Amino acid sequence: MERNTMAYKSKQFLMFAGPALILFCMVIIIPFIYGLFLTFTSWDGVSADKPFVGMANYVSAFKDAYFWSAIGRTIIYSAFAVVFVNIVAFFLAYLVTSGVRGQNFFRAGFFIPNLIGGIVLGYVWKFVFNRAFVAIGSAIAGGTVPSLLASTGGAMFCLILVSVWQYAGYMMLIYVAGFMSVSDSLKEAAMIDGCTPGQAMRNVTIPLMRTSFTTCIFLSITRCFVVYDVNLSLTKGEPFFSSVLAAMHVYNKAFTYKDYGTGQAEALILFVICAVIGITQVYVSRKGEVEA
Amino acid sequence: MASLSLKGIQKIYPNGYHAVTDFNLEVEDKEFIIFVGPSGCGKSTTLRMIAGLEDISEGEFRIDGKLMNDVEPKDRDIAMVFQSYALYPHMTVYDNMGFALKLRNVPKDEIDKKVREAARILDLEKLLDRKPKALSGGQRQRVAMGRAIVRNPKVFLMDEPLSNLDAKLRVQMRTEISKLHENLGTTIIYVTHDQTEAMTLGTRIVVMKDGIVQQINTPDHLYNKPCNLFVAGFIGSPQMNFLDAVVGIKGDDVTLTIGDAVLKVPDDKKQPLIDGNYDGKTVVFGIRPENITDNAEYIAAHPDSTFKSKIKVFEMLGAEVFLYFDVEGTQLTARVEPETQLRTGSDATFAFDMEKMHLFDKETEKNLLYSE
Repeated sequence: MERNTMAYKSKQFLMFAGPALILFCMVIIIPFIYGLFLTFTSWDGVSADKPFVGMANYVSAFKDAYFWSAIGRTIIYSAFAVVFVNIVAFFLAYLVTSGVRGQNFFRAGFFIPNLIGGIVLGYVWKFVFNRAFVAIGSAIAGGTVPSLLASTGGAMFCLILVSVWQYAGYMMLIYVAGFMSVSDSLKEAAMIDGCTPGQAMRNVTIPLMRTSFTTCIFLSITRCFVVYDVNLSLTKGEPFFSSVLAAMHVYNKAFTYKDYGTGQAEALILFVICAVIGITQVYVSRKGEVEA
Repeated sequence: MASLSLKGIQKIYPNGYHAVTDFNLEVEDKEFIIFVGPSGCGKSTTLRMIAGLEDISEGEFRIDGKLMNDVEPKDRDIAMVFQSYALYPHMTVYDNMGFALKLRNVPKDEIDKKVREAARILDLEKLLDRKPKALSGGQRQRVAMGRAIVRNPKVFLMDEPLSNLDAKLRVQMRTEISKLHENLGTTIIYVTHDQTEAMTLGTRIVVMKDGIVQQINTPDHLYNKPCNLFVAGFIGSPQMNFLDAVVGIKGDDVTLTIGDAVLKVPDDKKQPLIDGNYDGKTVVFGIRPENITDNAEYIAAHPDSTFKSKIKVFEMLGAEVFLYFDVEGTQLTARVEPETQLRTGSDATFAFDMEKMHLFDKETEKNLLYSE
């Protein structure tokens, strides 16, 4: 067979990309399109009937005050979590690349929280907040100290803290790669040029790690915006629905309140918000990226 | 500009490895010093100790009499050109060159003046807005030089700055660096493993091996009076030819026997062999390729320094010819005139210019005819 014929090229394409393309369509594209279709129905999530309702679900979603307050809460949660995850990850990466003794042990140790599933993590930390911290606080202060999870502000704080603990180790690995990609001769040149360690970090190392920042911020934004497992196991949206994040609201709407169409429409809106923020961040961060 | 003093400098790594042993050197103002030697000889380590990028394990390093052992690199007033150029990839050529001045809070107009002046000297004026990625190897090398020049430091350190360039560009940049040294009148310490660079650039050369200084002297002196077998073999291209020779002393007559050939040692070179009681001992006879000739008149006039062989390889380089042949199982190289009639496979008679010979002790490897 001629190697430059269309038939040969198509066969070659299907051999290599076909399996992945089929899987991608089956688990991403088709469910997405079907989900999009469901946003135009009043399906309850159970029955065989899927009555077409046009844009009614979107109108309902835009009028759903609980949804928008969950979105607002998610934005606040994400803003704090993204900032702290990246700050902590960056400093952990700096620590484990600065030549301290046992740095490989620390790298593994900091990464472990990421290997524990969100549900398990949430229950472990729920025990820590409800029992361990309460017992320690009570022993120090006397009397009974309430759990942080029992107050509205405290629950959000706990969610952010656990997310930072969970994600920082993973992001640390990306920052470690970033630190290692900056050649020693550049750092030495900066020292000879007159940089203090802080100036070398600010003027040379950090600008050359923009790729790591872009990746880590994108990953942490997208993860935080759709967080559900830790939200469920740690706070369950309590107290008084004060820690219900967007993904939990969407789930409740679709499966608890059997309003699948509206829930799916809200999920699509959440996806669009998440995509716009994520793509904008990547677009802005990519400007001026250079190879170290 | 400055003078440097290195006394008893040692570099010992935590695992006990001696990278540099007892390094002593006094560098005068405006000197162009070359550290040369094979890979792993400690030349770059010594340069990095001068820069402050490596700690000095023992010894004293001074610039203009001031002890520098514990002074930070930024406070030593030195500039360095790295082998990889180490240009900041996120900065333009202009910013790369002005970065050190900016850190020292030099006024903007003065930075601009100095950067543009350096760019003019190095022919970089049209490239100031470009980033390093958009430059060729030679241009990057010039920017690295420019970054050093604008600071007007006491000492320039250069760590194999030409090793990433192609052969033609390397020759061109070698000339540029030489001109720069003339124009700026700076003290330069330059590391290379290329003995041609060392010979053409340096006012003095430090030859190193295994962390130990072998000889420090001018290029001319190193070439003509190497202190030991290593320096003799390292300096010069093609390298010096070496043959084992047995010394014979009969009264005032001193001869060297190499296989069947008996060579008469000139009068002015006899004494060290007589004084050292080398009669019957084997020494290493060294002769540079240009001191072996196929000139018929010379051969006729010097019958006691001739030998015969068969040409194995003939290399025509245009202005000269290299002839490769064996003597007593050792391959020798002769650099002869391009008019030579000898070709691969020819039977040849050669003569050594015995006035230019070197003799080395077989055990100590020291040159028996010259001392420092």
